[in-house]
Amino acid sequence: MDHIRNFCIIAHIDHGKSTLADRLIQRCGAVDPREFRDQILDSMDLERERGITIKANTVSMPYTARDGRTYELNLIDTPGHVDFSHEVRRSLMSCEGALLIVDASQGVEAQTVANLYLAMELGLQVVPVINKIDLPSADVDRVMEEIDRDLGLDPFASIQVSAKLGTGIDDLLEAIVTQLPPPKGVPEEPLRALLFDAQYDPYRGALLLVRLFDGKLRAGTRVRFMHSGQEHKVEEVGWQRLKHIPVPELSAGEVGYVLAGIKSLSGLAIGDTLTEAERPAAEPVPGYREAKPVVFSSIYPMATDEYEDLTKALEKLKLNDAALIYEKDSSAALGFGFRCGFLGLLHLDVVQERLEREYDLSLILSAPSVRYRIVLADGKEVWVDNPTFYPDPGSIQESYEPYIKATIMTPERYLGTVMELCRERRGVETTFNYLAAGRMEVISQLPLAEVLFDFYDRLKSITQGYGSFDYELLDYRLADLVKVDILVNGEKVDALSQLVHREFARPRALRYCERLASTIPRQQFKIAIQGAIGGQIIARTTINAFRKDVTAKCYGGDISRKRKLLEKQKEGKKRMKMVGAVEIPQAAFVAVLKTEAPADEE
Amino acid sequence: MPPPSASRPGLYVHVPFCAQVCPYCDFSVLRGGEPARRRYVEHLLAEVPLAAADWSDPTPFDTVYFGGGTPSILPAAELVRVLETCRRHLPLVDEPWTCLEANPEDVTPESCAEWRGLGVRMLSLGVQSFDDAALRFLERAHDSGRARAAVETALAAGFATVSVDLIYGLPDQDEAAWRRQLEALVALAPDHVSCYQLTIHPRTRFGVAAARGKLRELPDERQAALFELTHRFLADAGWPAYEVSNFARGPEHRSRHNRKYWDHTPYLGLGPSAHSLAVATPTSARRFWNELRTPHWERRLAAGERPLEGEERLGPRELATEALMLGLRTAEGVDLDAFTQRYGFDLEASNAPLLVELQASGQLVLRDRRLVPALSGLAVADGLAAAFTLPG
Repeated sequence: MDHIRNFCIIAHIDHGKSTLADRLIQRCGAVDPREFRDQILDSMDLERERGITIKANTVSMPYTARDGRTYELNLIDTPGHVDFSHEVRRSLMSCEGALLIVDASQGVEAQTVANLYLAMELGLQVVPVINKIDLPSADVDRVMEEIDRDLGLDPFASIQVSAKLGTGIDDLLEAIVTQLPPPKGVPEEPLRALLFDAQYDPYRGALLLVRLFDGKLRAGTRVRFMHSGQEHKVEEVGWQRLKHIPVPELSAGEVGYVLAGIKSLSGLAIGDTLTEAERPAAEPVPGYREAKPVVFSSIYPMATDEYEDLTKALEKLKLNDAALIYEKDSSAALGFGFRCGFLGLLHLDVVQERLEREYDLSLILSAPSVRYRIVLADGKEVWVDNPTFYPDPGSIQESYEPYIKATIMTPERYLGTVMELCRERRGVETTFNYLAAGRMEVISQLPLAEVLFDFYDRLKSITQGYGSFDYELLDYRLADLVKVDILVNGEKVDALSQLVHREFARPRALRYCERLASTIPRQQFKIAIQGAIGGQIIARTTINAFRKDVTAKCYGGDISRKRKLLEKQKEGKKRMKMVGAVEIPQAAFVAVLKTEAPADEE
Repeated sequence: MPPPSASRPGLYVHVPFCAQVCPYCDFSVLRGGEPARRRYVEHLLAEVPLAAADWSDPTPFDTVYFGGGTPSILPAAELVRVLETCRRHLPLVDEPWTCLEANPEDVTPESCAEWRGLGVRMLSLGVQSFDDAALRFLERAHDSGRARAAVETALAAGFATVSVDLIYGLPDQDEAAWRRQLEALVALAPDHVSCYQLTIHPRTRFGVAAARGKLRELPDERQAALFELTHRFLADAGWPAYEVSNFARGPEHRSRHNRKYWDHTPYLGLGPSAHSLAVATPTSARRFWNELRTPHWERRLAAGERPLEGEERLGPRELATEALMLGLRTAEGVDLDAFTQRYGFDLEASNAPLLVELQASGQLVLRDRRLVPALSGLAVADGLAAAFTLPG
């Protein structure tokens, strides 16, 4: 076990995590140079383009160190966003050490800090790595000072590298071997293997990535998932190099893959513990949390004839994304679609982008919603995440909404604005702590619904990128909830209904009305756009009718020309949605439903 | 809408010459001296038998329209030759309803007498304005005095109908200024009036000026105000509109030729840019058109060819779309039952919410099973037509 090092890389977006990983893999010869392509771990196009890692990926590398011994280095990649904090936690739990990358010119940044604290909380040994030392703007001395002052790490233990040029990579590999501890664990104990990731292979089904804490695992073993209770017979175990290399057995401390004839990812829970069915462990690996969808939105195809394609695309996506849930939904205005549940807004974003790019679909998404608990007058309880199924307000006794505990880290100078942001978003019991010089931690209990509307973007902007945010679900609390409907000439546009806190009903309704008014083209008659709670109108805008729209002359040759113009216009109309007699272009739905800009919500 | 056989076809002759080319005009026109005009007439005479060979409808033409350009630029004797040639090759009633477009500067008691002799029933005068500043802006050759004199001369000459063309909606024209024009018009009391709102077409000198930001059409609201003023004023004065831009003192003064364009009665066009419509059955027709530019048109004829530039086949859907689009431009509107009967589309069934909305807003009136545009509807007739859906 002494020859194993399990580690991850923690970095701010753009600080060069993927490039560094590439360099390590190359240096260890884990990949044939001819097969090498940059940023090999980020396997999805989307990840490569955005430069963020969404889905953790992992690779094992054999490395012969200066002491002459060959080590097995397991690099466990971590996703870099709060929605995937489950996965981050799972990944970090599988490691004994972490490389913390700091950009030599940018210095310590916010996002790094949250994951560093998580790593420290889980007892990982951290090696600071100063990257991009080749840049003309690199200021290594200043960055070392920040590592000392802001992170409380030993700056002299840091390794200076240029992942781009390959400088310092050998020193870094040595540091991984010498500074990071080997895993602990008892091979003779009953099996405890943490499932920290799973991938879908169209030919072999679910490929589980596991870290063995105790025991051994070999083909033929009957394993049980300790949380879900499922049992499967292991068909193959092996190392996750860039190719899969089967081995006879995996032992405590090791990281590897498991194939067990599992057809899809949908029944799997990342964080679950595998044990032997015959000789189960007493306790699973601690820290398991079920990945529950908390954000809901309906997805409709822009063109109704793409519904079948959307159905197929979701089925395929689901194979690879266990956290995604969906069911059929339909809207009078937008036709057939799916009600989907997501881990968070980024997850929603990723699913939307993957559907649009990988499956070439054009989509409309309804406003994201949380799931409310509603107690009816007769004492019955219902869960509602879709405004369509919001019960008659008269029958509702009480509504409850999910609250989160948000942990925000920010430089001290933004403390006031961050506290204000929490207040605006109905945060309660907002407190703060000093972490280190100039660095604060703000803790607030916030309704999740108020975080859905670009809270994260807002936080980034008011802290100039330094604020970081993490959350966990707390509980359900009483909510003063109303359903806001949008009416176009008196007809309800069901896809635009939303459940909001009473306090925000008017501004939200007004913004919807205004956006519709600016995107629905003028038509033959005046169009009234209203926001309403039940029968009560709370917002209103109008689109005036055309008053003059007629060609002066229409003789001989003008007729064909005019008719063709009209035919073109009618062709365009086919892509419009009819609400009563009003034609609403798809662009209007898109404009209304795109991420909110909350600046005017106060 | 009567079936096609009930109406007799119309004959259109395009005379592409103008003494000068107006900056707003996008018709096929050119300046051309005496030799060019003579050459044009020879080619036109050559076109008649070619066109006739392809015109199988035996129903005699009962209207002839000399449009342009400026047909009045041609000597009456030339017009007579054209008519005689047409009569030799095409079925033509004995005394067709004939219209001639004329410029005020060509109107004299003598020319009027010649045109009357030719059978002209409607003389359509390109007056455009009774205001000298406006006439200069429009680069017309005549002044307001000449315009008034021409109308008076024409009225005195005994034509069945004298029509006056005006253009409104000029930049800076306010309601008071336009009202003065209408008052001047009504004082002269022609039988028929066409008031065209200024449209800036891209390939005209006004279009170029507009592209450079030196000229622009009036904003929607002001155009609408002038449009309404025109219609209300003329209706009150005794010239109710029968189409978006056309007004007549009585039904007998309406243009019997132009209405054929609006209800799919067949028409044959001669001369450059002229369009024709041959109707085979109530739901199938063919529209074809001549070379737009005179030199091209002449070259084709010189080679002994029919000078067609293009054609299209119109099926029930195309015809229905046009009938709706054109019908909603007229005071008669669209006869719902006749529409369904001829084209096979039930407008009411496929546009129920729209009809409710348009009637509620007062743009359309449903009267005696006809969809009739009210004034506010006429002002947006293009949009009205676009709002309707044909089933299928």
